[in-house]
Amino acid sequence: MNATLRATESLEMSSKALFFAGSDDETDPLPADNAAPETSASRPTTVPEKRLFLVDSDEEDASHSLEHAPGRFRLPDAQANHDSSDIELPCLEELPRTSSVSSISSELSNTRLSPNASSSRPPPLKKQRLASPKNFRHPPSMEDAYIGCIVCNAWSTAKGKGYISPGDEVLIERDALEDRTGRVKGRNKEAGNKGKKKQLTLKAMMNPQPSNFAKRKIDAVIRLTNKAGFEFGRLPQDLSVWISKLLDLDMIAFKGSTMIDCPTVLHSGADVVVSLSVYLRASAFKPPSTSGIETSKLSGLGQETEEETVLRGRKAALLTLFDALNLRPRHGAQTYRDRNVSNSTSESRSERSSGKKKVKTEIVGDGEEVEVEDGEELSDDDLQLIYRKAQRNDRALAEMDPPPTFTLTLRGYQKQALMWMHSMESSEKSARDATCMHPLWTEYAFPAEPRDGVIDLTADEKPFYFNPYSGELSLEFPKSELKLKGGILADVGMGKTIMLSALIHANKDPEPVRPEDEGKKARQLKLGSTFRPVLNDQRLQLKFGSSATLVVAPTSLLSQWSEELLRSSVPGTIRVTVWHGQNRLDLDALHDYDGDQKSIPVVITSYGVLASEHAKFQKSNGQSSIFQIEWLRVILDEAHHCKSRTSKTARAVYALQARRRWAVTGTPIVNKLEDLYSLLKFLNFIPWSSHSFFRSFITVPFLARDPKAIEIVQVILESVLLRREKSMRDSNGNRIVELPAKEVLIEKLQFTPAERIIYDSIYDTAKRNFDQLNAKGLVGKNYTHVLAMLMRLRRAVLHPDLVVNPDNGSQDPSSKPSAIDLDMLISDISKDSNGEGGSKTAFAENVLANLANASEVECPICLDVAESPLIIPQCMHQCCRDCIVAHLTACSERGEEGRCPTCSQGPVKEIELMEVVRSKGQPGEEQSPFVSTNKELAGVSLRRNDFRSSAKLDALLQNLRRLQDQDPYFRAIVFSQFTSFLSLISAALDRERLTWYRFDGSMDMKKRNAAITEFKQNERKPKILLISLKAGGVGLNLTTANHVFMMDCWWNTATEHQAIDRVHRLGQEKTVYVKHFIVEDTIEGRILQIQKRKTAIIKEAFRGTQQSGKGDPESIENLKVIFGDD
Amino acid sequence: MALPKRIIKETERLVADPAPGISAAPHEDNLRYFDVTIEGPDGSPFQNGVFRLELFLPEEYPMAPPKVRFLTKIYHPNIDKLGRICLDILKDKWSPALQIRTVLLSIQALLSAPNPDDPLATDVAKHYKENEKDAQRVSREWTEKYASK
Repeated sequence: MNATLRATESLEMSSKALFFAGSDDETDPLPADNAAPETSASRPTTVPEKRLFLVDSDEEDASHSLEHAPGRFRLPDAQANHDSSDIELPCLEELPRTSSVSSISSELSNTRLSPNASSSRPPPLKKQRLASPKNFRHPPSMEDAYIGCIVCNAWSTAKGKGYISPGDEVLIERDALEDRTGRVKGRNKEAGNKGKKKQLTLKAMMNPQPSNFAKRKIDAVIRLTNKAGFEFGRLPQDLSVWISKLLDLDMIAFKGSTMIDCPTVLHSGADVVVSLSVYLRASAFKPPSTSGIETSKLSGLGQETEEETVLRGRKAALLTLFDALNLRPRHGAQTYRDRNVSNSTSESRSERSSGKKKVKTEIVGDGEEVEVEDGEELSDDDLQLIYRKAQRNDRALAEMDPPPTFTLTLRGYQKQALMWMHSMESSEKSARDATCMHPLWTEYAFPAEPRDGVIDLTADEKPFYFNPYSGELSLEFPKSELKLKGGILADVGMGKTIMLSALIHANKDPEPVRPEDEGKKARQLKLGSTFRPVLNDQRLQLKFGSSATLVVAPTSLLSQWSEELLRSSVPGTIRVTVWHGQNRLDLDALHDYDGDQKSIPVVITSYGVLASEHAKFQKSNGQSSIFQIEWLRVILDEAHHCKSRTSKTARAVYALQARRRWAVTGTPIVNKLEDLYSLLKFLNFIPWSSHSFFRSFITVPFLARDPKAIEIVQVILESVLLRREKSMRDSNGNRIVELPAKEVLIEKLQFTPAERIIYDSIYDTAKRNFDQLNAKGLVGKNYTHVLAMLMRLRRAVLHPDLVVNPDNGSQDPSSKPSAIDLDMLISDISKDSNGEGGSKTAFAENVLANLANASEVECPICLDVAESPLIIPQCMHQCCRDCIVAHLTACSERGEEGRCPTCSQGPVKEIELMEVVRSKGQPGEEQSPFVSTNKELAGVSLRRNDFRSSAKLDALLQNLRRLQDQDPYFRAIVFSQFTSFLSLISAALDRERLTWYRFDGSMDMKKRNAAITEFKQNERKPKILLISLKAGGVGLNLTTANHVFMMDCWWNTATEHQAIDRVHRLGQEKTVYVKHFIVEDTIEGRILQIQKRKTAIIKEAFRGTQQSGKGDPESIENLKVIFGDD
Repeated sequence: MALPKRIIKETERLVADPAPGISAAPHEDNLRYFDVTIEGPDGSPFQNGVFRLELFLPEEYPMAPPKVRFLTKIYHPNIDKLGRICLDILKDKWSPALQIRTVLLSIQALLSAPNPDDPLATDVAKHYKENEKDAQRVSREWTEKYASK
C-alpha cells in the first residue's frame, strides 16, 4: 500500500521532472562532459579545460554558471563544513524518508533527462559520454582527481587500418543510460521521440530497481573510441563489469588514456593494450543515497533492499578499482583483503568464532525481538579486548581539579575522569589525544599525476578517504567526531558518583547560548514568575533546563545519590530533589527561578518513574515536565538498565532532552554488543544511534564472525567511553586504586542426615523426571518444568523449609516464634515444688535466676561451654543444642524416649526444649520482640526450640558468632537470591539476638533507604544486612561492612563480583572477607562443574527469565550434567 | 580419627584431679583405651585391694557408654569371671552426661554395695544371698590373693 502511494508520488514527480527537463533542453547546450584530462596535450578542445563547481548548485542553471565560472580553483571550505557531516557520516535521520526505490528513480529521471531530452538527441547507437545524472544534483566539491592508471588488454571491434595507433589518445565511452535501456527494450527508438521516451522512463521508474540493474548488467559494454569518436574496440568483460558500474554511477572518468600497443591493422577481436588513466569524479565524493539503510531495518537480514544492492555494487566496484590501481590504504580500517592477518584482535576473534559453533541463526523475518535475542553473547575475553583499546591512552589523561564548591578530595584518576568528562562536555578539545579516524574509513593517497609524462615527486600527497563498508568516498578527514556532549563512564568501582558530582560542580554553567536562543532567553527572563500559572512547554524548557542536571538511577540508589551529592558539596551550592514516589511535585515549581542561581539544581529520579512519566507524556495531550525540560545534563546511573532498546525504560530515556548526556555503568556491554547500542542511542552518538546503522556495521558483521565488528566497537568506545578498573595502574606504575585486600573463602558444608534425606528425595524425583523426559527427548519442550525442579533443588540446599510444604506440619518459617515469659516459668516451678522434693525445684529456680547473670554453663555432654544452650523444661538442665539433639537422636535410635542426660528425667522432646537467648550487646537497647518484659531478666529470654536450622544457616550463624567474638561491632552483608531464605536467616538472627536489616525488591523506597541508613549508622553493636541479590547487587555503597556471606552460588560470576564490590570498593579501609557456603554432594557442586565448562549460555538458562520456555541444546547438555551420574 | 574434645577434657581432668582411690590413664598409642585402678573401699570385703580394670571409649562415646572390664579377679555378685560388670549406667541407663570419672566412682560404689538381686555371676550371687558372711570371706581371700598391692 505504501509502495503504491509512493509510486504515484514519484510518477507525479517524474512528470514534473520531465516537463522541466524538456523546457531546460534548449538552454543546456552542453552535455556534461567533464571527463577531459586537464593536462593532456591531446585533450579535445571542445571540452572546458577545467571545471569548477560551486556550492549548492541544485538550481537548474547552476551548471551553466559553473561551466563558465572564471575562478579556477575554489576549495570548498564553507561547503566542506556544511557538507562534511554528510560525507563522513551519512546522517540517516536527515535523509528523506521516501522509499528508496522511488526516490532514486525519481532523482535519476529528474536529472538524467535534461541532457538527453535535447531535441538534438543523438541517434541511438551514437556514442556519447554518459552525462552524470548526479552531477546536477550533487554539487561536486572538487575537480576530478587522478587516482592511477590501469594497463589492460582490450579487444578490437574494428577492422582495418588507421583507426588508432600506439600513443594515440583513447576515449572511453559508455552508452547513455537511455540508449541502453532503449536498446534492451527493442532498439526501435526514434530520435526525438519524446513520447516514447517518456513512456520508457516512466516504465523504468515504476519498475523495481533490480530489473533495471539486471538490464544494466547485461549491458556492461565499454567502448573505446578514437578521437574522431569512432569505436574501434571494447574493454574485456572482466573489466567492464565494474568499470561500467562506476561510470554509470559517475564515480570515475577516464582522461588521457592512451593506446600502448595495437596491431597496425585492426581486425575484429585483435588484442590491443591500453593504458587507462582513472580519475575520480567529484561527484564520487558525494554520499551515495543511503536512505535505503533505514528501510532495510524492516526487511531484516535476509533481504537486501534494491538500494543496498546498488550500494553494494558501488562498493565492490570501488574496491576492485583500488585493487586494479594497486592503491593501498595508508591508514585506517583494514580492508577486506588483509583483515584476517591484520592483528591479534582479529585473529583471536576468528579463532574464537571457528571454535565456537553454536550459531543461533533462527532469524525469523517477522520481528526485531527475535533477532535481538540472537545476538551472540560475548565472553569475558572479548569484553576485555573491546575495552582494551579504549583504555590504552587513559594513563596519560590530564588531571583537573574540582572547583572549591566541591568538598571532597579527588584521587588522581578521579581528577583525570573529571578532566575527561569536562572536555567531553565542552567538546573543545579531547582530553585524550585522539584524532581518531572514523572506524569505518580508510585513508588513501592520491597518486601523483604524471604531467607530460613526468611525475612530480615533490608534490604533496593528497589524501582521500574511502569507506569500504558503504563505498563512500571523502576528501575530508573522517574524524570519528563527537557531536554528542557526554559519553559513557564505565569505571568499575572507582567512585563514579563522586566523579559525576565533581563534574556537576565543575561544569555547572550552560554553554554560551546560541544567538537564536538569546532572544528566547531574554523573553523568558522577562516573563519571570509572573505568568507561572500559564505554563507552556516553551517556558518550561527554558526555565531552568539550562542549568539543571537530571540523574536517573535505580530506585535503590536514589537516596545514595542524594546523600553523596550533598556530602560532596559545600552546603548551599547544590539543590537536590529526589523526584520519586506518588507525590511528585511539579518540577518547574521545584526549581523556580528565584534568583538563586548560585546553587546547582539537581533532580534525581528512578527509571520506573521515568517510564511511567513517559507513558503519561505519550498519551495525547499528556504533560510531563521531565520530558519537556531541556536539561543541561542527563546522567543515567547503572545505564545498563535500559540496555534493551525496545523496553519502555529505554524509550523513555531516549525521549529525554538534554544537551549533555552521560551513561554511567560498569557494564556497558553486559553480554551482547547490542547492549551498547542502547547507550549510544541515548547519547545520540551519530551515526551509531541509528539502529539500522549499528546493526549493519556491528551486529550483523559480528554474527557473521567478522572481526571488524569488534574493531569498530573498539573505536566507538575509544571516543566515548572511559573505563578504568581497580587493578589498573597509573603512569607511575602504581595501582590507581589502593583497595584493601579481599579474602575469598569457600566453606564446604555437610548436610545433616535429615537434610540429606529431604534433599535426596527431591533430587531423586527430579532426576527420575528428567531421565524420563530425556529418554523421550522432551527435555526441550519441558524446559521450564525442569528449571522449576532445579529451582526447588537449589532451595533444598539452603533450607528444607524452603521446599517442604508449610501445611505438612512444619511451621511457617517466617512466623515469629513466641517468647516464653520467664516469670511464668518460675512461678510454675514454684507451684510444682509443693508436691516434690524441694532441692530440685530450688535448682530449677536457681538456674532460671542465674540466666540473667549471663553465667556460662558447661554442657554436660561435651564438657565445653554450652553454645546456644537449650534448657530441658522438666528439670532445667542445660546442654548445647547440638549435644542434646544428638543425644535425643541416639535415644530414639535405640527406641527409647528421650531423657535428660543429667537426671534421666523424661520424656524430653526436641521441640519442647527451651532456648536461652542472651543478647550479647548492651541489654536494654534491644528492640527485638523477644526481650522479656521482666526487667530483672532483661537481655535474657527463653524460647521454644521450634526453629529448624539447616547446614547453611548453621554455618552462617557459627561464622557470625565467631565474628562477634573477634569484633563485637562487626558489620556483615548476607546475600541470597531467595527472599524466603532471607526471611529464615532473619528469624535465626533474631534468635541470636543480632541486629539485622533487610533490603529486597519487595520493600518500597522509603523502607530500603531506612534499612541502609540504619545499617550504616555508627552504633556499638554488630549489624547484619540481608540483601537479595536482585535488588541490591548493584550500585549500593556498603563500605561500612567488611564481611560478606554468599549463601547460594550463582550462575553468573559477574553478578557475584558486583555484589561483593558493594563492599570491596572505594572507601573500604579494612580487609574484606568473603565467604561462600557450598553444601557438598549437591546440585551446587554440579553448578560449579558447569561453570567450569565456561558455557556462557547457562547464565541465560538459569536466570529464570528464559522467555521461550525452550532449551537450546547447550542448556540441555548442562542439565544432563546436573542430573548425570558420576 | 581426631579425638573429640570431650575425651581430651575428661582425660585432663582425670589426671589433674583424680578421684580418691581411683586412677585412670590412657594408653599412649590409643587415647581411647585407659588403664584403670580402683582401690577397694574401706569397710568392704575389698578393702586394701587394688583392682585393675580396662576402660575403652567407643566411637559413639559419649552417646554410647564406655566399655569397662575388671582385669583383676574379683569375687563379686555383679562381676563375672571375665571381669564384666553388671551396672545399669553402663547399659540402658547410660547418659551422655556421665563421664569416665562418674562411671569409675559408680563401680567403686558397687564394690561397697554389691547387689545380688541383679546378678551377673549367679553362683557368687547365690553365695552372697545364702551366706553373706562366708561370701564376704571369700571376697576378702580373693582380694588378698589377687589384688594385694
